[in-house]
Amino acid sequence: MKRQLVTAFIGAAALSLLTACGGGGTADQAAGGPQTIKVALWNYATTPEFKALIDGFQSANPDIKVEPVDILADDYPQKVTTMLAGGDTTDVLTMKNVIDYSRFATRGQLVPLTDEAKKLDPAQYSGLDAYDLEGKYFALPYRQDFWVLYYNKTLLKQAGVPESKLQNLTWSDYATLAKSLTKGDGASKVYGAYQHTWRSVVEATAAAQTGGNLLGGDYGFFKDQYQLTLDLQKDGVLMPWATAKSQKVTYNTMFSTGKAALMPMGTWYAATLLGDVKAGKTKVEWGVAPLPQKAAGKVTTFGSPTAFAVNKNSKHTDAAKKFVEYAASEAGATAVAKVGVTPSLQSQKILDTYFGLPGVPQDDVAKKAFKPDEVVLEMPVSDKSADIDQILTEEHELIMTGQKSLDAGLNEMSKRVKNEVG
Amino acid sequence: MAGQTVEQAAATLTAPARVRPRRRRSSTWVGWTFILPNFLGFATLTLVPVIASLALSFLDWDSYSSPRWVGLANFERMIHNETFWTALRNTAYYAVGHVPLTLVAALGFAVLLNRKLRAVRFFRTALFFPYITSLVAVAVVWNMLLSPDLGPVNQFLRAIGIDNPPGWTTSTAWAMPAVIMASVWRDLGYYMILYLAGLQTIPAELYEAAQVDGASGWQRFWHITVPSLRPTTFFVLIMLTISSFKVFDLVQVMTEGGPGRATLVLSQVIFREGITQGRFGYSSAISMVLFVIVLTVTLIQFRLQRRSER
Repeated sequence: MKRQLVTAFIGAAALSLLTACGGGGTADQAAGGPQTIKVALWNYATTPEFKALIDGFQSANPDIKVEPVDILADDYPQKVTTMLAGGDTTDVLTMKNVIDYSRFATRGQLVPLTDEAKKLDPAQYSGLDAYDLEGKYFALPYRQDFWVLYYNKTLLKQAGVPESKLQNLTWSDYATLAKSLTKGDGASKVYGAYQHTWRSVVEATAAAQTGGNLLGGDYGFFKDQYQLTLDLQKDGVLMPWATAKSQKVTYNTMFSTGKAALMPMGTWYAATLLGDVKAGKTKVEWGVAPLPQKAAGKVTTFGSPTAFAVNKNSKHTDAAKKFVEYAASEAGATAVAKVGVTPSLQSQKILDTYFGLPGVPQDDVAKKAFKPDEVVLEMPVSDKSADIDQILTEEHELIMTGQKSLDAGLNEMSKRVKNEVG
Repeated sequence: MAGQTVEQAAATLTAPARVRPRRRRSSTWVGWTFILPNFLGFATLTLVPVIASLALSFLDWDSYSSPRWVGLANFERMIHNETFWTALRNTAYYAVGHVPLTLVAALGFAVLLNRKLRAVRFFRTALFFPYITSLVAVAVVWNMLLSPDLGPVNQFLRAIGIDNPPGWTTSTAWAMPAVIMASVWRDLGYYMILYLAGLQTIPAELYEAAQVDGASGWQRFWHITVPSLRPTTFFVLIMLTISSFKVFDLVQVMTEGGPGRATLVLSQVIFREGITQGRFGYSSAISMVLFVIVLTVTLIQFRLQRRSER
């Protein structure tokens, strides 16, 4: 008797183990009544645009409830890939970058949104064309980031540099200025500029401003931009790349604690600064200028749009589409602009909303920075982008740590991209 | 068989007169149900994925489209891929550094802390501590210590007159030694505990007899301690070898395989190709190679052990 009990108990335990694995949420009814859609996104607490969009959408559509699926920003692409591989039904997916977008779309993981995209005016939507896959669209952008030059007003004033000087900087002006702004030693050192460890800071800038092709397998066009960066590093104007990388230095720390006077960075950083100033986390007085250019004149910078897409496995496709359309609409763009994030829809009205925010720099330099003449896509979309990105990153490390000479590094990049990706 | 003797013992306890075959069959069944939950976990989470991975290595599969049979194409691609060979060399480099250093350090500290020292418990705990510390914290702290210009290690080296201290994790030549150093520091506590347990089993009389015969400390260590610890050493060696070939987390956090590909190891390539790039077939092929390497090395160690036992 006792033994039978034991057996039954173990059997039940094993069964519950099995069923626990096979469990998972049950989808609520698709037709009629209040619905809940899930939106995959990252760092919900510190990325204000998501809350702004979800709140705005819910008040416009009271019959649809939105539930955020919060993922760590760094893990986001991998986590979403794994989720989709497992047949996850999360309704809306944020497309963090266009490389992942093209991968998900070409694998048939996303619901086509071509009709919805055709309704948008490409002249007003910055970054819309990045989602064009041979005439088809699978996502609608709601946000467009591009690179600008952040500067510390206090440090500039101390050095007697007028801010208007930053309106038309060339890279050699930038180098001269950064040198003059460098001061101090050891722990109290203030760097003239901080360039983060990402390869894009050097490479995407060079590609955008020389018209070079990042997927081309011939990287001679990087040379000037690398030379400039390496020279600044040698002169102690930039924090050594090796230190920044091995200490996992964050660009926010460097800029918001006043340890760097100039910093090329994406427009998304403005939202962080606005939030941190408001919360009293930083006292830095900041301004934005256009990204320095190869030659003074037209402002060319690089950037990437962010979009929402609908999961093919979604059980609430219509509600999910509504959310994606809302985020791309004027109402969505206004909500995004209000939290200090640059929306994809850049009409005058939206720009006015943005500059009307307390804390956003209002001057002409900033206005010029936020209206670049051309925004080139940070990394062109192709099935080879991810592999090439890996090779470029590895060689970038070797050049920046001085493990390879500039010429040898550039040669190796070209050789490896041609041989290994082909 | 151990199972049988337990069963027999149980049978003698409950039914001393005679064992009925039916009873025995049902108790076997009960025995199975005891290991069933564990086995099911192992089967669903380890065995099935391993077999699936073997099958996947002959397929082209991105986890979305239906898989396509490609025969040996994944292996061919691997042989012609420079990154694979770099990672294989790096993995071997790591193992060759990590295994003997950890073994020697663990044994050394175990012998040292097996005596009646003051605060011996404190030192044992202190050495074991890194093993239970978060790996990310370990990596971050080591990165700080080894920072090329401001790190305490290089400041010390400069203070003792070395003008050009190594760049550690930012130098292609020193990145791997830096990773090995951190991993030895982290792992030695665990293996030291195993050795300490082994040392407790050596009878004190052996040492006393040797002392009477006038053996020196070194002789006693070499002729009594080392041979008596052979089973422990064998176990430690196997565990260390397997864990060395599988190394992933420490490298991922400390150097991400860089600078360049200086510390890129096989498990990172498997992760990148599979999870990041969605080439599950190719990634499985590499993991099969890793599996075969680990299996071969382990079998060789077993054979050597058996030979030395004879």
